[in-house]
Amino acid sequence: MNKKQTNNYTLALIKGLGRSLWAVLRHAFVKRETVSYPDIKRTLPSRWRGRIVLTRDPDGEERCVACYLCSAVCPVDCIHLQARQNGDGRRYPETFSIDFSRCIFCGFCEEACPTLAIQLTPDFEMCERHHESLVYEKNQLLIDGQGKHPGYNFYRHAGVAIPGKAIGEAEGDTPPVDRDNNLP
Amino acid sequence: MGKIMLDGHAIPFKLGDNILQTALEANLEIPHFCYHAALGSLGACRLCAVEITPKDSGKAPRVAMACLEPSEDGLKVSVSAIAAQQVRQHVIEFLMINHPHDCPICDEGGECHLQDMTVVCGPPYRRYRGRKRTFPNQDLGPLIHHEMNRCITCYRCTRFYQDYALGNDLGAMRLRNEVYFGRFQDGPLENPFAGNLVEVCPTGVFTDAIFRQHFARVWDLKTAPSICPHCSVGCNTLPGARDGTLRRVRNRAHPELNRWFICDRGRYGHQYSEHSARPLAPRVSGTDTSYHDALNAAASQIKSTQDCIGGLGSTREDLEGNAMLQALLNNLGGIFTAFSDPKLETATIAAVSSLQNIGNAPSLAEIEQIDAALIIGDLTAHAPMIDLALRQAYRKGAKLAFLYSSPTPLAQFATTAITVSPQEMCTELSRLYQLINAQSAAEDITDTPMTDIAASLMGARKSLLIGAIETMTSQEVSTLSKLATALGSDTKLAYAFSGANAYGAALLSPTGSAVAMLEAVEAGQIRILIVAGNDPLGDSRFGTRWRAACRNLSALIVLDCILTATAKAADILFPVAAWTERGGTFINYEGRAQGFATVFHRPEYLPNVARVITDLAQYLGHSLQAAPSVLGDIFSDFQIPKPGTTGSLITAPSLPMPATASAHSIQESCNSTWQAALASWYGDEALASFAPGLMALTPKTVAMIEPTSAIDAGIKNGSKIKLRGSSGSMVLSVRFNQDVATGTIAIARNVLVQLGVGHGDSLELEQVL
Repeated sequence: MNKKQTNNYTLALIKGLGRSLWAVLRHAFVKRETVSYPDIKRTLPSRWRGRIVLTRDPDGEERCVACYLCSAVCPVDCIHLQARQNGDGRRYPETFSIDFSRCIFCGFCEEACPTLAIQLTPDFEMCERHHESLVYEKNQLLIDGQGKHPGYNFYRHAGVAIPGKAIGEAEGDTPPVDRDNNLP
Repeated sequence: MGKIMLDGHAIPFKLGDNILQTALEANLEIPHFCYHAALGSLGACRLCAVEITPKDSGKAPRVAMACLEPSEDGLKVSVSAIAAQQVRQHVIEFLMINHPHDCPICDEGGECHLQDMTVVCGPPYRRYRGRKRTFPNQDLGPLIHHEMNRCITCYRCTRFYQDYALGNDLGAMRLRNEVYFGRFQDGPLENPFAGNLVEVCPTGVFTDAIFRQHFARVWDLKTAPSICPHCSVGCNTLPGARDGTLRRVRNRAHPELNRWFICDRGRYGHQYSEHSARPLAPRVSGTDTSYHDALNAAASQIKSTQDCIGGLGSTREDLEGNAMLQALLNNLGGIFTAFSDPKLETATIAAVSSLQNIGNAPSLAEIEQIDAALIIGDLTAHAPMIDLALRQAYRKGAKLAFLYSSPTPLAQFATTAITVSPQEMCTELSRLYQLINAQSAAEDITDTPMTDIAASLMGARKSLLIGAIETMTSQEVSTLSKLATALGSDTKLAYAFSGANAYGAALLSPTGSAVAMLEAVEAGQIRILIVAGNDPLGDSRFGTRWRAACRNLSALIVLDCILTATAKAADILFPVAAWTERGGTFINYEGRAQGFATVFHRPEYLPNVARVITDLAQYLGHSLQAAPSVLGDIFSDFQIPKPGTTGSLITAPSLPMPATASAHSIQESCNSTWQAALASWYGDEALASFAPGLMALTPKTVAMIEPTSAIDAGIKNGSKIKLRGSSGSMVLSVRFNQDVATGTIAIARNVLVQLGVGHGDSLELEQVL
């Protein structure tokens, strides 16, 4: 090893050390990314997949029509519901429970939902002391708002009659055919 | 027999089959809507488009409908050809133009033919941006929900309802793209097979209204092969359960019995197992207790008695339960029978005995091929699917002759229909026997309806004699079997028994044991009675005697899954599993042993009858063999049939024909001018009568009387009369009906029970002013 090479190495070492020291020194005065949770909470993106809620339509009625698609698509089988038929024609879930101790927050249920009822929210703070408390029932899931998708009401597009919307009054429907009349 | 080339595969076909049938037979799916194996081809939906390459090489390939094109040897067919694919895609796109945005709330979703075909053939997105045509819906009663917007005009509903089931209150109305399928006015569909519309409809126009109330998707339902428990035909069904409750029952094809359809009693009668008053906890003296306490109570009662013990099985209880009860009674030295009604017992044993002598009853597929039939009584209520099979025979031109006492819906298709009062039925059958035996019926000068029947039966290639056992006496059964012998080997004999396992119950019950048991209970010789699935106290003819006799008992032990009059009066009540909650074996009207499987379990502990009897025997210090070996001892080489198979005819030791002079035939026939007849309807059955949906259709309770005899007695239509029987009286309004025999009053089963009279017993009539 000659003397010139030794000098180069020493120079590089000093340079590197200096740069590292400078970086440490510089970051000591930069605004910190880490926040001291839970005293400070960050704002998560609205598409964050956290706690699942059931939303309501613009008229304040439950959006869920108990079609069972969320429970069918759920890869961990954590959604259980039972459909009921209202006397007036609306279908709703009599019971709806999500086992959050099993849920993997994949968001398949939200994708499968044809009425935009089930939505994942940016809330992830769901610690409980017991497993059973992580099974959320319908009263814990149903919220009073429309969530991420305001304005959509499934029954305004469906063909069935509900109170306030008779057959043929849905968006894009013609008035019902008079079956007793044979005129063209 | 040749082969067609379907997309390069050689597929054999039967002569006369079309391309679609050939492909479906080979388990190759060509998309289709309106074709149905039972209803045939129509060519209405245009979906089964295939490309056919003519043999003549000079001609261009053409697109044709597979359901209308007969299979020919060497025919080159392509399902995957671009031209055919395009046609199918356009058809689906057109069908979807007016289809509502309903799938999430449609009960058909998940098993919808339209959904499947749209995924298979159609464009993934809707291009049409116009407005949708809509239809008003109809109220079709408590069993079927109507949502007409979803219709794709395949005409399957009317083809089934009008052409196959011969109903006349559902049809197509209007024209163009506005064809409407419904009734002329709102109201329940009248046909007893209307429930099949739910399965026939390829989309969600007709859906199950009972299932709708407690809906679950098809993929969530637990299913297992089962047998219908509501009559002796033994149709194969597929019940679906979820979360410990039974939700629905669907048809499961059996090649010789029910192939595509079941009756409404089978489809909707299952609700009895969900009845709110169903006993689910064992009861001792009216208080709920545990299973072991109830067994202890029953065992200590039996141990303490020095008297004889009676065991009453049932025609609706499975073979295993009846056989185990019989085995227990053999160990204890008691009397066993499966019949609470001695008259029904002799008639059923006589019928099974005559079937053993003459030859087995024909299957439903064979009944559809007959060309003359003599029908005694009402089949629509006692064996609805035999009624449907006879409707198919009628469609092919069979001559149906009827001898009946009370209205029967099938009689509207009769060539000859004679109303005969219950007490004269035997005489009339004997007359017919003499006519046929004399071999002179055809040349007889007097052209009476009876000679017509004799002539049609003698002239037929294949004929059928069939009777409903519940309304027949053993003399009538033996006369009918003599008639079958006289007509020769081309004549088949069949009986519609009362109860899914009546044939099996008759094989286990010694002749005369029912009357022996009743008399022993009346005399106080039997002090403990074990009743498994039977309702002696609610019997129409012998209920009064049973109720009086049961006061002598020290303990009435009842095993049942419904709250019958007997279960209500029980000292010790064991609730048992309904048929979907346990496995077992039923023997149907042909003698075919068919197994059914456990579909699901309820949260409550509900053992089957065989289990309770085995446990009870253990508490008594006896050890019974398991049900299969008990049955193996009774019927040589008997194997418990595997659920889901077609079942096999049981080989049983032949039963002796009961002595025809029954002690309990009509005694006081001459005292009164009026006699009672059972006016049954298709929902009228012990289990199904606990199904609320079906019971909502129960006909109004009236007294039906033939007009001439009523006018002779000074009774007006609509007036009130008071009927008096052995156990009570009842005021009913009169309705004239031509289908009731002279001197007969046709009344519903619950009225018969209240009055304490049976079919053919005499009644006292008093006019109420």
